[in-house]
Amino acid sequence: MTQDDMPPPEPPVKLAGRSLLERVSVIWLAPLAALVVVIGVAWQTYADRGPLIEIAFENASGVRPGTTELRYRDVTVGLVEDVSFAQGLGRVLVKVRVDQEVAPYIDGDAQFWVVRPEVSARGVSGLGTVLSGVYIEGLWDGTPGEALGRFDGLPDAPLDRVGQNGLRLILRATGKASLVEGAPIVYRGIEVGRIGTPTITADGSSAQAEALIFAPHDRLINSATRFWDTSGFSFSLGPGGAQLDVSSVAALVSGGVTFETMISGGGPAQPGGLYTVFPEESAARASLFAGDDSEILTLSAVFEDNIAGLSVDAPVELNGLRIGRVTTLNGLVDHERFGDGRVRLLVNLAIRPGRLGLKGGAGRESALAFLRESVATGLRARLASASLLTGGLKVELIELADAPPAEIEPFGEGGLLIPTTESEIADVSATAEGVFERINALPIEAVMEEAIALMQNANALISSSETRAVPGNVNDLLQDARGVVGAPEVQALPGRLDEVLTEIETLVTQIAQEALAAKLSAALSDASAAAQGVSDSVIGVPELVARMDAVAQRAEAVEIETMAAKMTALIDTTETLLAGEDAQALPGTLNTALEELSTVLAQLREGGVVQNATEALGSARDAADTFAAAGRDLPGLVAEAQAVLAQARVTLAGYAAENGVGRDARGALREVERAAKAVSSLARAIERNPNSLLLGR
Amino acid sequence: MRTARDMGLVGCTRCMQVAPMGTPVCPRCGSLLHSRDPFSLQKVWAWWILGLGCYIPANIYPMLETRTLVSTQSDTIVGGAVTLAQHGNWGVALIILVASVVIPVAKFLALAGLAIGVWRGSNMPEGRQHLLYEVVEYIGRWSMIDVFVVAILSSLVQLQALATITPGRASLFFALSVIFTMLSAQSFDSRMIWDNARRSEPKEDIRP
Repeated sequence: MTQDDMPPPEPPVKLAGRSLLERVSVIWLAPLAALVVVIGVAWQTYADRGPLIEIAFENASGVRPGTTELRYRDVTVGLVEDVSFAQGLGRVLVKVRVDQEVAPYIDGDAQFWVVRPEVSARGVSGLGTVLSGVYIEGLWDGTPGEALGRFDGLPDAPLDRVGQNGLRLILRATGKASLVEGAPIVYRGIEVGRIGTPTITADGSSAQAEALIFAPHDRLINSATRFWDTSGFSFSLGPGGAQLDVSSVAALVSGGVTFETMISGGGPAQPGGLYTVFPEESAARASLFAGDDSEILTLSAVFEDNIAGLSVDAPVELNGLRIGRVTTLNGLVDHERFGDGRVRLLVNLAIRPGRLGLKGGAGRESALAFLRESVATGLRARLASASLLTGGLKVELIELADAPPAEIEPFGEGGLLIPTTESEIADVSATAEGVFERINALPIEAVMEEAIALMQNANALISSSETRAVPGNVNDLLQDARGVVGAPEVQALPGRLDEVLTEIETLVTQIAQEALAAKLSAALSDASAAAQGVSDSVIGVPELVARMDAVAQRAEAVEIETMAAKMTALIDTTETLLAGEDAQALPGTLNTALEELSTVLAQLREGGVVQNATEALGSARDAADTFAAAGRDLPGLVAEAQAVLAQARVTLAGYAAENGVGRDARGALREVERAAKAVSSLARAIERNPNSLLLGR
Repeated sequence: MRTARDMGLVGCTRCMQVAPMGTPVCPRCGSLLHSRDPFSLQKVWAWWILGLGCYIPANIYPMLETRTLVSTQSDTIVGGAVTLAQHGNWGVALIILVASVVIPVAKFLALAGLAIGVWRGSNMPEGRQHLLYEVVEYIGRWSMIDVFVVAILSSLVQLQALATITPGRASLFFALSVIFTMLSAQSFDSRMIWDNARRSEPKEDIRP
């Protein structure tokens, strides 16, 4: 049992040789592995970390560090780490940790803007940001460039979104055309472009905005293209009927622009080219033939008179041609310039150089040069009446021959002052007032009253039964007259006259044929004796002549003529009566007169004038016959007459010398001739114009 | 006080079968038999360090991410409790604070204290140390209540755009932390508490 008593030997080697594995538990591998993982992850994160960029925004509403993302094509490529202020608190600095793989592409051309929800007439955009919060959208091209640490963020989304490249233009609105941010540019109903943020031009005369025409529609644009405003709607009424134009609802609400290349031959469009937006299509078309109205020369004019009536948009005319308009009206008090404290009228004029028609182009400079030259020779601005009715004024540029020297002076900040002269304003209101006063003074009421009374009288006259009877009576009268004229006796009258004349002619021929001279000689011897007696009794001849004259006059004043004259008088009287005051009583009288007239005519027809005339002519024929019979005895007398003729001639010469009987006899003969003429003319007149019996003409 | 080792016996930690000292494998359940686990403290410290390491991000990162229609909210453990307290839910806030902060921290402290006590000796009576260990081991699993809340909420509240709750990164770390501390507590060989008590007492010859 020695072995049992012996203590077992210490195993020092075994103690010292306890391996590390035996002394240390494998469980330590777990924290070790965790440590390795942590270090690995940390290193990985650090190594993969992209660069930090700074974006300066005017307004970073909704951007939160650690939450807000940077996106490119709607894919997250970065995260906002910090939001702070730039120096001076002017801008907000957003620090964004960008992914390693996109970092090289974010170079100088990168653009950043904050995407926020937006609700507009064109639709809703960025709706996702309502729930997820805003994000920063970045835009850069696909080529790596030199990295930049600091960028300026845009206040709004730029025109060319990703994948929408195209032609950039500058649109300038004139007149009432409006440019609305983000409004579509529509061509044939398709949106082919977009308008950027409008700004006011430096001279304040118009608004302009950048516009982008998306590719491939940009080939539609060339230098002859004209843009016009399609916002709102237009209503026109013309020969073609009524027309209502509404382009689209979006354009109606938010505005829009469309364009058309109206004429061929335009050059290619230049990027950044300036185009004018016209208020409507017709204006755009008209602009093709007129100069470009977009360029404007602004002048100021100070008028001494502070006259009401001039308004904004009043015309500015040069020799009657409208070359511009009044843009603003202000009062002006300038002690230094004018030396007193009076308020003057300061008018700003927008002159369109294109309207001047200058040869050297429609530029502002050439227009100004032209005006300077004109002012040196007496061109002045003055106020003048534009409208007589409204009393509106216009500004007139007029050449004054005796104007004191002046020139276009600088005025205010960059302004130009054109010299003015006294206004020529027709005091239209006063003239018009005078006219109205005179009209007012006219006795219209009295006239009206008289007219009313007259009308009442006329009414009573017309409505009276006598008046109504007049037409019937007149008709009867006319029928009677027609009966007279149409009577066979009257019709036969010319024939009878003709017969009488023929017989007279025959008579004269017979006298000539039957050698009256021989027969006359005997008679002439008696006549020669008688001539002495005649010579003695020459005093009695005038009485004879007078009687013959009387006879002739009576023959002239035949009964018909008298009656016609009486009828004339009657009608005259009738007229007078009608015009007279007691015309009421006329119809009765007229009726009576007509009835009498009718009776007279009836009498005439029954056996009056015509038969008398016939009888008279018959008597004349008898007389002629008798004369002819007497004529047959004459030839014997002719010889004597011839013998006596010498004596008679002497005697007659004496008579002629005395201008006594011969003259009277000639006169008597003339009267007879006249009487005959009168009868013949009466007969002709009756033949030609039977109703002259009635009318007395 | 006599221990099993004093009596030359070794107890199976799995099935409590007592075998004579030197028996390598439990005759009943077949698990390895150690009178004292030689690597116990190392294991405790290893799991303890891992647990503590996970507990730090568990408190830094958000535990819960709540996305509603209008907002996204992510709360850390303490932040969530504070928010709840601000809204007046003191009870829930207290439960979360106790389950997620007080218990894990106490567990770390208790485990560290026990391990140091075994290593260096402790003034605390052995019985109380053992009670402390029992409490730590028992109560440690309740820390998982926070992880369960997160798991249940995030599986229930999935209403797409209206409201969505997703577990934050902290929940993973917190769960790991709880698991590691539980492993740490399990690795602690509580029999060593009593060895210390014997060390402080006068040495007794173990041999008869």
